[in-house]
Amino acid sequence: MRRFDTTNPWFSWETVKRVCSLPRVGKLTNWRLSLFDPFEIFMNRFAAGNSVRSPWLLGLVLLLLFAFISGCGRSELEYRPNGLHAASLTRESAERDAVEIAKQAAELIETWFGTLDQPRWPAGLLESVRMDSVSRCAGPVGRRDDKVERGVFRKHCVTCHGLSGDGLGPASMLLEPYPRDFRRGTFKFKSTPVGKKPSRDDLHRTLYEGIPGTAMPSFRALEESEEFAHDIEDLVEYVRFLSIRGEVERRAISLSVREGIPLEPNSVRIQEVLSEVVLKWNSAPSDALPEPEPPVWFTSAPSDQARHLELIQKGKSHFESELTACVKCHGKTGAGDGSSQDYDEWTKDWTILAGIDPKHPKEWKEMKPYGALKPVLAKPRNFHWGTFHGGKSPSEIFKRIVLGIEGTPMPPVARAENSNPGLTDDEIWELVYYVMQLENRS
Amino acid sequence: MSSEVKFNFVKLWGWLAALFIFPLIWVGGLVTTHDAGMAVPDWPGTYGYNLFLYPFWTWLYGPFDLLIEHGHRLLGSWVGLLVIFLCIAAWRQESRRWYRWACVGLLGAVIAQGLLGGFRVVLDERTIAMIHGCGGPMVFAYACFVALASSSDWKNATRSLAPRGLWKLSWVLLASTVTQLILGAQLRHALPSTSPVGFMSMVHLHLTFAGVVTLAILAVALVVRKVPYAQEPALKLPSNALVGLLVLQLLLGIGTWMANYALPWSETTWSLARYVIAAKGYWESMLVTAHQATGSLLIACSTWLICRVARRQFSLAENRNSLNNPGASAALPESVSAV
Repeated sequence: MRRFDTTNPWFSWETVKRVCSLPRVGKLTNWRLSLFDPFEIFMNRFAAGNSVRSPWLLGLVLLLLFAFISGCGRSELEYRPNGLHAASLTRESAERDAVEIAKQAAELIETWFGTLDQPRWPAGLLESVRMDSVSRCAGPVGRRDDKVERGVFRKHCVTCHGLSGDGLGPASMLLEPYPRDFRRGTFKFKSTPVGKKPSRDDLHRTLYEGIPGTAMPSFRALEESEEFAHDIEDLVEYVRFLSIRGEVERRAISLSVREGIPLEPNSVRIQEVLSEVVLKWNSAPSDALPEPEPPVWFTSAPSDQARHLELIQKGKSHFESELTACVKCHGKTGAGDGSSQDYDEWTKDWTILAGIDPKHPKEWKEMKPYGALKPVLAKPRNFHWGTFHGGKSPSEIFKRIVLGIEGTPMPPVARAENSNPGLTDDEIWELVYYVMQLENRS
Repeated sequence: MSSEVKFNFVKLWGWLAALFIFPLIWVGGLVTTHDAGMAVPDWPGTYGYNLFLYPFWTWLYGPFDLLIEHGHRLLGSWVGLLVIFLCIAAWRQESRRWYRWACVGLLGAVIAQGLLGGFRVVLDERTIAMIHGCGGPMVFAYACFVALASSSDWKNATRSLAPRGLWKLSWVLLASTVTQLILGAQLRHALPSTSPVGFMSMVHLHLTFAGVVTLAILAVALVVRKVPYAQEPALKLPSNALVGLLVLQLLLGIGTWMANYALPWSETTWSLARYVIAAKGYWESMLVTAHQATGSLLIACSTWLICRVARRQFSLAENRNSLNNPGASAALPESVSAV
């Protein structure tokens, strides 16, 4: 039987050669000894004071060494430049380098908004976010020496929304719908009209309630525990911060590409953009729709069968009318199977607006290196499930109908105001009633 | 009964160590689930206190992340103490020299795990957290091996089986469960800078290896029911445990994905369309942690199977004898007593 030579040192050239020629190691008994019984051999030799040279042991050591080395090579984390926006704007121009423009814009933004670990507010500008909250959300996860929490955003949000709030977190590719990209400053579920920014309460509601059927969780448990009670408020501030930062970056890139304005902090035009974006966010509360209250007949109708049927009939006629055009997307029965198909604004931004057909992989794949995800059609709600991403209360559904869902093909319904054709508030409530009743038809 | 018969402390401490490593893994999993690895920013102390002198009430009634992180450290210290007791007992009572060193090796592994956990904190390095997370189940499997090597089955099993199929298969199973654990750790400890493509590839690999582990366990379950293994009921126990854990693990895996990311086809059923994930919710946390802990149990059960097969398939004594005396193997009896 072939024996191990116990006199050789552990890490000898002989050992390395032996590991490299493992498949040629002699007889079955040796295989058993060398591959399947390393522990016994190791222990016997170790106990006898001899050196050990089991190839498995050497492999294990190398593996651990590799793992340790891989852990030491981390790179400094930083905000990801908005290369996708730059690439979509410069697509037709061979002279402009999208990566270079995005990099310049990122450097400009850093002078105003700081880094991932040390965010700051542009000097001389009225704060529209609470920077103490932003500081708590930024940086790595953990607690400071005074036990104050830090890195709240990385703890709860970064896996999906990414470090920059660009919706390109590690898990983003696997989710449907894709995580929101905050950098457009566009939010779906809010109480303000299309084109306006969401209020703090709107963002708080989404964080608190979550979005059913999607990866967006409810952070209700945090607010209900004393120690994490302020986490949602802080996250709202950080989302506002990332949105403002991202939108300024986007618009600076647009100015640079379209108007040739240099990406410098002292550029007057870019400073105007910064002020405009901040002003829009500051004015959000005054743009909000007052919380709609359902009329008395709305809540009492289910107990009156005749009234109930009448409301369903009326709601159905609104649902199928040309004015609302609900059927086009949601289908005749409200199952979300309408004929109209469209993409959301986040997708159109870098596809249709950049001259790319999202249906053709060859075309859209050219944007993949910049962070583009496969274009997916916006999915109209299937009312039969009785779930509404923006909230299932009558008031929330009323808001979705009246205000639309920004960034998606869902438009606001025309309201009968100042002799304009449209639905009256009562008619909208009838439509809400009908939509809510569709759940029972599944 | 002879008065020379002593209480087997080696067995006691060995099993206690293995038993306490499992809750240690569970609490460690909770630490990862709640991203509480840096809840205590210093090490080896806790907020400037000695680990064992940190105020009890502040720990129990403080923030939840501090509770589990400090608890994980205390539990780790307790396991270290148990393994020290095991080493002392092994040195006093155990006649097998290799076993004594195996216990020392376990102590070294536990200390190494503790150091890795400490470096994760001191360097605030998530990659070390991942290595620490992968090391935990390995140490658990090793502790199970040490405990199993003190069992009566190890000492009394006879050499009765010839074919090598199950022996190889059980190693394939162990290798695939360990690989699956490492892949799962890559997902659990994904760095914020991980690319979506990299993460997706890891998910696909994790799913592929879930298939490999499933096939390996089903193959083991089939093989132990066939001749000649069917004559060895001792092999059925780990095999049945593996099948049970596999079913549990597959369900937990689906649940873990749902609790983290929802299903991509959520709108196919009423309940899935309505499900709202509760961030850091109790059940969600338990589900995710249980998935990771069951992975450790699968590795431990694979080790258990290997031990039982090894004691029947080959006699370790034969190897040792043949190592020392190449001509002795031919003279070995059919049944070999404890090593």
